[in-house]
Amino acid sequence: MASAVAAPGHQDRYAGLKRHEVILLFVLIAAVAVLAFRSEQFLTTGNLLNQGRLLVEVGLMALPMTFIIITGGIDLSVGSIMGLCAILLGVFWQKLGLPLGAAIALALVVGALAGFVNGWFITRVGVPPLIMTLATLALYRGLAEGISQARSVRGYPDWFFGLGQGELWGVPTQLWLLLFFFVISAIVLTYTTFGRSLYAIGNNEVAARFSGIPVDGIKIAIYTMSGLMAGLAAWVFVSRVSTTRSDMGTGLELDVITAVVLGGTSIFGGTGTILGTALGVVLIQLLKNGLALSGVKGDGTIVVIGVILILSILVSDLLRRQRGAEH
Amino acid sequence: MAATMALPARASAGSRLRRFLFSQEGILLIAIIVLFVAVGAYNQRFLSANNLSTIFLGNAYIAVAAIGMSMVIVSGNIDVSVGSLIGVLATISGTIAVSGWPLWLAWTLPILAGMAISAVSGWLIAYLRVPSIVVTLGMLSILKGGLISVTAGAWINNLPQGYHLAQLRPLGVPMAVWFMIVLTALAAFWMRYSGFGRSIYAVGGNAEAARLAGIDRARTVFIVFVIHGFFAGIAAVLFATQLSVIQSTVPPNLELTVITASVVGGVSILGGTGTVIGSTLAAILIAAIGSSLVFINVSPYWLRAVQGLLILLTVLADLARRRKRARHR
Amino acid sequence: MTSVPPLLRLDGIVKSFPGVRALRGVSFDVRPGEVHALLGENGAGKSTLIKVMSGVHRPDEGRVEVDGRPVDFGSPQEAQAAGIAAIYQELLLFPELSVAENVFMGHAPRLSWGGIDWDQTRARTAEILQSLDIHDLDPDTPVGALSVGNRQRVEIAKALSMNARVLIMDEPTAALTEADVERLFGIVRRLRERGVGIIYISHRLVEIFDLADRVTVLRDGEYVGTHEVRDVTEPQLISMMVGRTIDQLYPHRTANPGKVVLEAKSVAYPGTVEEASLTLRAGEIVGLAGLVGSGRSELAQILFGVTPASAGQILVDGQPVTIRSPADAKRLGIAYVPEDRGTQGLIRPMRIRHNVSLAVLKELARFFFIDRGREQELARRDIERFKIRASSMDQVVGKLSGGNQQKVVLAKWLATRPRILILDEPTRGIDVGAKAEIHKIMSELAAQGMAVLMISSELPEVLGMSDRVLVMREGRIVAGFDRAEATQERIAAAMMRSAQQERAA
Repeated sequence: MASAVAAPGHQDRYAGLKRHEVILLFVLIAAVAVLAFRSEQFLTTGNLLNQGRLLVEVGLMALPMTFIIITGGIDLSVGSIMGLCAILLGVFWQKLGLPLGAAIALALVVGALAGFVNGWFITRVGVPPLIMTLATLALYRGLAEGISQARSVRGYPDWFFGLGQGELWGVPTQLWLLLFFFVISAIVLTYTTFGRSLYAIGNNEVAARFSGIPVDGIKIAIYTMSGLMAGLAAWVFVSRVSTTRSDMGTGLELDVITAVVLGGTSIFGGTGTILGTALGVVLIQLLKNGLALSGVKGDGTIVVIGVILILSILVSDLLRRQRGAEH
Repeated sequence: MAATMALPARASAGSRLRRFLFSQEGILLIAIIVLFVAVGAYNQRFLSANNLSTIFLGNAYIAVAAIGMSMVIVSGNIDVSVGSLIGVLATISGTIAVSGWPLWLAWTLPILAGMAISAVSGWLIAYLRVPSIVVTLGMLSILKGGLISVTAGAWINNLPQGYHLAQLRPLGVPMAVWFMIVLTALAAFWMRYSGFGRSIYAVGGNAEAARLAGIDRARTVFIVFVIHGFFAGIAAVLFATQLSVIQSTVPPNLELTVITASVVGGVSILGGTGTVIGSTLAAILIAAIGSSLVFINVSPYWLRAVQGLLILLTVLADLARRRKRARHR
Repeated sequence: MTSVPPLLRLDGIVKSFPGVRALRGVSFDVRPGEVHALLGENGAGKSTLIKVMSGVHRPDEGRVEVDGRPVDFGSPQEAQAAGIAAIYQELLLFPELSVAENVFMGHAPRLSWGGIDWDQTRARTAEILQSLDIHDLDPDTPVGALSVGNRQRVEIAKALSMNARVLIMDEPTAALTEADVERLFGIVRRLRERGVGIIYISHRLVEIFDLADRVTVLRDGEYVGTHEVRDVTEPQLISMMVGRTIDQLYPHRTANPGKVVLEAKSVAYPGTVEEASLTLRAGEIVGLAGLVGSGRSELAQILFGVTPASAGQILVDGQPVTIRSPADAKRLGIAYVPEDRGTQGLIRPMRIRHNVSLAVLKELARFFFIDRGREQELARRDIERFKIRASSMDQVVGKLSGGNQQKVVLAKWLATRPRILILDEPTRGIDVGAKAEIHKIMSELAAQGMAVLMISSELPEVLGMSDRVLVMREGRIVAGFDRAEATQERIAAAMMRSAQQERAA
């Protein structure tokens, strides 16, 4: 009580959140400094832009994942939805002979539908989000494998690679896409009634319901968005790597969730920002890259992600408890 | 229903049979028999000794891992890192075997390692109260990444004579199958007759009531994870010793197969109920489905979709059952 | 009678929680083979007292004795070991496990090698059930499949399996059917014959006269008195319970009821509200009295769309309407300030400003964007209007006092400009000053033409504030009084189904 009186208004209210993002920013700067020191190639425009290209898929999916985790939910199926959409994009185009543009649009619709199915079962049937999306993690990946029969699709026309491999004003094209959605999500979360409702649901779902907030509708909407963004990520991914395979995006849910949690979103719901998530996404990608450049082999870098995931939860939990003790 | 079966029924033989047939175990057993009969009728090669051996020998380790997983889920938690854990432990086993150490070390050290690694997860979950999904997601990536960066995916060849424990055939039945049967029986017995076994159900079923009954939640969850590591260790040894070459990678989606076996075996994902006999039967059923796809000319690539559908349907049935019961009050 | 030494004795028990003195020097004892009833309104301190007896809470002051020896329970297990078992309203059972296993959870009979002896477990459960004259309960059935009455029998068997000599029963009949209540009484009498001391908590006076040997009354955490049941009458007990001096003035107001704005015709919801009808006029305050479990809050939540009515009709301004969600109710001008502030009313980790705007986010928004200027304006006005004591509108509501939290909830709902305001226990647990302020606000709102329905367990408040009083019991509205004819005794009698009193009235 006393501290609130001493530090009135604006400083007080964002102290907790800002603290996390500021800490993260310092960690990021420190990491960049160390990595730049260890490898000359690291701090070059070329390398950094290329890393920017690589983080777009995770970044796109991390935005709705932030919304979902803020409400106290989780979506483990995003990697599988991405794989399913990638496969369908190829199949719609090559096997069904649809125009590529229509195939892309249809794949996005399937992504949104896959997310909607998650949201519908979670709200209307009452399946816990963890279980529902674990089941669809298997189901959607299985559909991708069954439909593709593990055969890849190649031979896309050149214009298709513009998104994944091209540049716009010297910056990878897909980075502009991510930036666009980043700004939109940040605005939605911070300034709109929808964003406010997400925090309300995550902090106290019952009170949100009692206040006339359409909780079920909002939840269905965010899981649908999550599916749609996974579809978009699939498009970017296929365009970047020039081919479609059914195992695309396997395990990507881990990167996405880690980025969100590292960004300060509480796994128990109620707090989190898009800016934090963005910092989390960037930090993870730079760490991966830096480690690879300093000689850590390929997938070995995911060890770091696992450690960071557990540590960031422990630290944020510690901070939360400390803040709780202050009150 | 499953929980009722946990008590040896004392009623008449007739009602005992009826109770069994309507339990999750009964349904699974019927499903397995129907599947074998139907697919066998369609294509006789499905029932050949060779194929049956492949089904059972090749999948017994999944049933063993599902025993520990079932306990984890009954306690109200989950472990998505079990596939990576088995991959790491199998590699440890193979590495010891080719390094010239005694073979019994190659069979036992992975079990101890499994218990130690799982104890770390269990400690974070039980005492630091980090959600199990987060801890085990992190553990998944640590184990998987660690394995690849240490071994660089090198294959382990030239495994010594006598290493292949799983392939021994006492009384004509593969050792892996013996392990599956004996461990399932022991675990089922232990979960039914030991005080600790019952406290797993209590913690997962109603944490507050368990506390009032004097059960230490954190300690129970921690021990459950250690036991889970024990079973994962045995599963890894069975897995490694059935192969002629160990690939030093994580078998893809193994964790999902193990979780599917537990859930389909009647372990309620909401905690508090389920038996290990059910999970073993479910592991057999899933393996048989996977194998049968080939024999009925369906691409095996649909297997994962079938698994996902099975989980979803079982969870929905569980929810419907609970809801019906709630209405009955 | 007094020569028999008590099994359990409490003397001068004091227990405080942050901001509340729940017990202020309460004494109580129970002897072998008696049923000792504990009586008091909500918030009188009964549940705190039984939690002290059963080892859940440690008293701040006072003595607890078992068989004349002082004890200090650190946990429920220690109390159980001393032979004291409690059966709470929310039954603590494992729904997936069998009856036998629930009865013996944590202390099952063992085989020689240490394994659980299922045959013994089952046999001893059957034996205990037999001894209670319960023959229709199979020890192998999973508890989840049982009715509430049967679950309660399992709890009783559990207590007996631990050789309980003192059995505490907290409102055991609240959720039971008539037939189940009869059976429960049979079991309680049987236990009394065996020498078990029973502490019986109930609101229903009839039950106390039926069953109890002695009765102790608590009021506002204080000990009022203990009597032999045969020496007291119902009116005496009622006045002991509610006979609080009206220690505060209620705002004086001349009611000027307008036309009917809300009418409920035989609305029902399975299991809680049987068939309730009421009318509410503009500019009047209607008090809704009733015991916990009588369906008061449930009726309010039907009108507000939280649990939509399964039968009956609701009319607003004479037009039939369907209310299927709080959003529907909000659109029709209905507001509901819920009983449970912490879980239903407020989002405690969020700021005052964000709480007061929660129900009107849409109205404050321009194209989905919340107009922060208007939001702050709203918060500033509310803080001033309701005299919310806070450092700023950015203070987290969880840090406010109970009274100020309640004002925030009220402000949130008044921001929707409702015409019908339902208040559920609007002043529970808040200090006298804030209470008076809330009463004043209510009067002003009614004077401005708002229709107010106030649910309250505090009879002086009901009498002081209401123009009309309705009484609910067992899911029905059973009585209505005008301001002039309403008295504490009449309302209390209607609440507690006192046949005697109803005849007298």
